[in-house]
Amino acid sequence: MNQDIANKLKEVSRRSFLISSAMGSTALVLCVKDGMAAGKQVVNLLDDGSPLMIPPNFDPSIWFTMESNGATTIHVVKAEMGQHIGTCFAQIVAEELELDWKLIRIDYPEMNADAQDKYGLQITGGSFSTYEMFDRLARSSAVARGLLIEVGAEILGSSVEDCIARKGRIIDTVLDVEISYSEILSETAIAHTVEEEDLAQVVLKEREKYEIIGKSLASLDSPEKVNGSARFGIDAYVPNMIYGKIIGPPVRMWATVKSIDDSKAKNIDGYINTIKINLPKQMGYMVESVAVVVAESFPAAMRAAQIVNVEWSTPDSPKVNSQDMVEHAKKLQKDAAAGVNFVLKGNIAAAEKQSSEYISSEYYTEMVTHAPLEPASAVAQQVDGDWHIYAGLQAGNVMRYFVSALAGVAPENVIFHPHHIGGGFGAKVEIEAPVIAVLTAKQLGKPVKIIFTREDDMYMSHPRTPTFQKLTGYLDQNGDVTGIAHDIVAGWVGARFGEAFLIEAADKKGKLDPWANTGADHWYDVNAQKVRAINNDLVQNSFPVGAVRSISNNYTVFAIENFIDELAHKKKIDPLNFRFSLLTAKGENAGAAPDETAHYTVPAFTGMPNSSWTKWKFRPIYHKSANVGGAKRLANVLHIAAGLAGYGSKYFGPNTAHGIALSAAEEREMPTFCACVVEVSVNRKTGKPSVKEIIIAMDVGLAVNPDGIKAQIEGSVLWGLSNALFEKMTAVNGQLEPTNFDKYKWQTIEDLPKLRIEVVENGLYPSGVGEPATSVVSPAITNAIYNAVGVRIRKLPISQNEILKGL
Amino acid sequence: MAQLKINSRSYFVDAAPDTPLLWVLREDLRLTGTKFGCGRGHCGCCTVHINGEAMRSCQLRVGDVEGTLITTIEGLDSGTDHPIQKAWIEQQVSQCGYCQSGQIMQAASLLAEIPDPTEDDIIKHMKFNLCRCMTYYRIIRAIKSAAENIRKAKS
Repeated sequence: MNQDIANKLKEVSRRSFLISSAMGSTALVLCVKDGMAAGKQVVNLLDDGSPLMIPPNFDPSIWFTMESNGATTIHVVKAEMGQHIGTCFAQIVAEELELDWKLIRIDYPEMNADAQDKYGLQITGGSFSTYEMFDRLARSSAVARGLLIEVGAEILGSSVEDCIARKGRIIDTVLDVEISYSEILSETAIAHTVEEEDLAQVVLKEREKYEIIGKSLASLDSPEKVNGSARFGIDAYVPNMIYGKIIGPPVRMWATVKSIDDSKAKNIDGYINTIKINLPKQMGYMVESVAVVVAESFPAAMRAAQIVNVEWSTPDSPKVNSQDMVEHAKKLQKDAAAGVNFVLKGNIAAAEKQSSEYISSEYYTEMVTHAPLEPASAVAQQVDGDWHIYAGLQAGNVMRYFVSALAGVAPENVIFHPHHIGGGFGAKVEIEAPVIAVLTAKQLGKPVKIIFTREDDMYMSHPRTPTFQKLTGYLDQNGDVTGIAHDIVAGWVGARFGEAFLIEAADKKGKLDPWANTGADHWYDVNAQKVRAINNDLVQNSFPVGAVRSISNNYTVFAIENFIDELAHKKKIDPLNFRFSLLTAKGENAGAAPDETAHYTVPAFTGMPNSSWTKWKFRPIYHKSANVGGAKRLANVLHIAAGLAGYGSKYFGPNTAHGIALSAAEEREMPTFCACVVEVSVNRKTGKPSVKEIIIAMDVGLAVNPDGIKAQIEGSVLWGLSNALFEKMTAVNGQLEPTNFDKYKWQTIEDLPKLRIEVVENGLYPSGVGEPATSVVSPAITNAIYNAVGVRIRKLPISQNEILKGL
Repeated sequence: MAQLKINSRSYFVDAAPDTPLLWVLREDLRLTGTKFGCGRGHCGCCTVHINGEAMRSCQLRVGDVEGTLITTIEGLDSGTDHPIQKAWIEQQVSQCGYCQSGQIMQAASLLAEIPDPTEDDIIKHMKFNLCRCMTYYRIIRAIKSAAENIRKAKS
């Protein structure tokens, strides 16, 4: 520090002062730190009265903490599962707070009652983390920047107007003097927290002036993820813990452990006991009970599990197979009275009546499961009446409430310690492992680590529902499409969690699950549109279907994008031009205008099993609309993808063609406009489709970290490809198969198509990128197969035999 | 009981000889960088080096690896400076990161064997290491880049 500044600081130190804040009504209190010099204190640890001065940090906002050494820790309130969300959040904070990137750290605060009060429910999913947090982080950081400028100016003896913040320093641009954040915070303690009114009034940086947002910075967690030091849920450890391996039911739902015979296991070294754990029906677990084999080591528990004999009582209902669910869906769809309407626009009955012709197609998708490489696991430990849970979860606070209800303690007494997630994809919103860990630890009075083996994780999984859909398009005498009716028969993932997750139907004749039907509310302008949502009760009563990456978009987009092509071929128009003719952005399809006032737009998770659930505070967002521009932006990415692919102009050999598809996942309020063109070649002898190239143009609104976005798109494109070509979970006598990777096949490093990604930023606000590209790939492939060899595939995964039959 | 040499240190572990090495590493020695994925040798998350060779630690009995030199991700390089690790960061390969210890150990054994691998060599060598985030494009890029950096450093 130069002498000038040192002198000024001394001056400042003579008076303890109060500056009235320009930011709002709250006073900015600045006091000089006293007696803080490290190493000068002698503390007698045996004497409670011995003084110890802990240096204070600057905590202007709940989202980050600044230390006097200049380092800033961003508190990442979302789960890290590969999206590097902490780096994204840090970029937003660093931009508005003018931080030196080298001095940034991230942490993941524990989830307890206080944290929930502060941060909300902290669910990670739906690709909404950046969308939810961008504005909050930007505004809080900008307010904090203002505070530092004020204090910096005061110390420098400058006027606030002359000072700017720049890379961790406050600079007086007129007097040409400066002071670092570290110097400011070493000498002073600023007592000011950001208030709502500060947030409302703060002036954010102009987008054109961004220097950190929009940069492909290396993710902050890269080193720990390549040297083995990253801590995942399954790596959790507490002293004296014992291990549990579950023995699961012979059918997926409603089987009960009748008796346990562990006489043979008693000789196994380290074996402790096998106990029955009850999981109440009403709480959405969809298992009645499991047996848990407990031992001093996990290998001992696995050894014992092989020779512990568990007798089950299973439900009387017939044991369901995959085909049963399809047949049941077809029956439901034929019943005109079944279901309620998800979308109801125009007059579909009139469109039908006045039509001169129509086409109708049926689509099927099989179950697909998450299969994250890290299976479910958790450590539970009780200390002084509090339950501590160590795991990697997408909804840690939700877990707290379930554990509270089951363990018979208040939610305040359940504390979650977040760990990295070894693959989320929706699998880790499920909470069987932590619940079983707590109940086992409670019975045995010791900390317990539960690890699901791969087999346990697969048959206990929550796959995407099998679906049956029927689309009917009505054409008038001019050949114009005047109406589209869409029936969706599916298991409803939201319905599993309870009534509160359902919304009122468009015809107000009942409730439906938006998560199971989203995507059917597409951006094409059609005069009359009706989407009928029908719950497949056989699925619902047989398998606890879950939220698998991009949820319903995977099947709704598959059906719609195939059907749009079928309509185009019917009309003898190129599917590309046909899409443009429907993307006219009328009415709602124009998107919403920007909104600069505070409003609440966080996905509403309400109605959980405990009354204190309502403690969740909604925090206002001031954001600009994420869907402004609407269908025009979708048309725009289609232009880009088609152009990059050379659509319509590229020369192909025989049996090779392009196919296109669009998606606007995850949902209408937060769409990521995505266009996909694939090149597919079909082998006429074998029917095998080869995907040669995939081109993706994705409008993310505003890109915080372009390379990180590309990485998410690469992964989700291959996930979509994997779903299209390989993945299939089946129901066999009421249980899920297969249970390991010798039979559950998915995309490997072999046969990768060429991939070209164009990230487009034609919006005002960022939308999600972790999922949206998953759903476009399969319809683009089936459309290409049709264009290549004239065979229409309406079922996922794509069957080589079916193509061969069609040939 | 087993006496093991892991990352140049010797350990004595109280585990039955038929215990999978994976669980001894993870739970007894808390070398948790080596991951459990499938328990059947299908996914490659648990890959370690035994006398320099990439092997699946879930398929190795601890009794069978006594007297060998075992290297885990923690011992690949003391400063996260192995050319493969550097390339992994440079190419931003990791997403969730769970499979990456196994991928890196597998890739390191490839470059030890074939310093200048073709794309086909890479795919052949890496095809049994699964990645559910599907970071495959970057894995290929990172291996090529690491190979190039090693060559540059030598010349």
